[in-house]
Amino acid sequence: MAFIPSRAKRHATGPGEAKLNLTSMMDMFTIILLFLLKVYSTEGQMVQPSEYLTLPKSSVEKHPQVALDLVVSKEWIVLNNRPVAKVADVLASKSLIIPSLQQELLKYANEAEKMQQRYGQEFSGAITIQGDKDLPYRVLVKVMATCGKSKYPNMRLLVYQRSS
Amino acid sequence: MAFRPSQRSRRPKENAEPNLTPVMNLMVVLIPLLLTSAEFIKLGMIEINLPPAARGARVAQAQMPKETEKKLNLTVTITDEGFYLASSMAVALGESGEGPTIPKKPNGEYDFQKLNELLYKIKKQAAGVFKDSDQIIIVAEPEIDYQTVVFTMDAARSYKTDQGPVALFPKVSLSATVM
Repeated sequence: MAFIPSRAKRHATGPGEAKLNLTSMMDMFTIILLFLLKVYSTEGQMVQPSEYLTLPKSSVEKHPQVALDLVVSKEWIVLNNRPVAKVADVLASKSLIIPSLQQELLKYANEAEKMQQRYGQEFSGAITIQGDKDLPYRVLVKVMATCGKSKYPNMRLLVYQRSS
Repeated sequence: MAFRPSQRSRRPKENAEPNLTPVMNLMVVLIPLLLTSAEFIKLGMIEINLPPAARGARVAQAQMPKETEKKLNLTVTITDEGFYLASSMAVALGESGEGPTIPKKPNGEYDFQKLNELLYKIKKQAAGVFKDSDQIIIVAEPEIDYQTVVFTMDAARSYKTDQGPVALFPKVSLSATVM
C-alpha cells in the first residue's frame, strides 16, 4: 500500500525560504584575500619573462624596468617578439658581432633617437636581456658585444629572484 | 509606568543573521583583481657595468681607461677546473701553489662560498686603497653556462656578515676570452 501523507502534511507548502550557508565560503574567501594582499606588490609585473626559456636564479634585489626586450632562448635570438638570429648560427660564426641582430638593434636605436629629437623622450640605450640558464658564455658575450656596439650599452640581465 | 511588551506574544524569535551579500560582492571583485596583479615569481635585474671610456665603443673587452691612479683590476676567471683570481698586483694562488685559486668541490660543483669569502678578504684590504675597489671583471671559458656566471656575480656582489650584508664588488664587467 502506498504511503498517504497526513492531511496536515498535504497542505504544507514545503520549506519557506532556502537559505544558503555562506559561512564556510566566507572563511575561504577571507583566507584567499589575506594571502593575495600579502603577496600584492604595487609595482606589478612590468616585464614578462619569455616562456621558451628558464632564466637563471640570482640573489639580486633590483626590480626590473621596462626596456627593449631581447630574448636569447635555446634556439632563437628574439628582439621584441621578432626572431632575428639562430643560436646555432651564432655558435658557428667566428665573429664577435651578430650582423642580423646589429641591423635590427640599429633600426630600433634610430627610431628611439628620432623620438628623442621630436618629442624629448630620452633614449638611454637600455636593453633587457633574457637568457636561458644553460646558455654558453660565448653566446652571451657575443650578444652583449653586439648590443654594446649597436647603441645599446646599458644592458640588464633578467633573472629570477631567489629568496635567501 | 514603563512600557512592558506583551507577554502573550507567541512569535518565535528570528535568528539574527548578518547580511553577507555586500561582503560577498566585495570579495568577488577583490579576489580576481588581486589574482591578476599578483607576482608569484619575483624577477630581478642585474646591471652590467661597462667601463666608462669603453661605453658603446668597446664592450666586453674590459679595456680600462688610461689613468695614473692605482688600479686593482680584479679579475675572476671561470674555468672548467674552478676560479682563477688575479689583480694588477698579484695572481692569487691555490692552496697547493698551482692550479686554480679556488678549485671545484669534489662533487664537481663550483665553490661559490669560498670565492665569496676570499673576495671579502680582498675587499677589506683593497677598500680605500684603489680607485676601482668596487669593480670586478668576470671572464669565463666559452662553454661555461649562464647560470654559473650569474652565481659568480652573486658571490662577487655582497658578503653576509653578522652585522648584515657588506657590498663587495657590485660593479660587474664581463670580458671575452679568445673565441
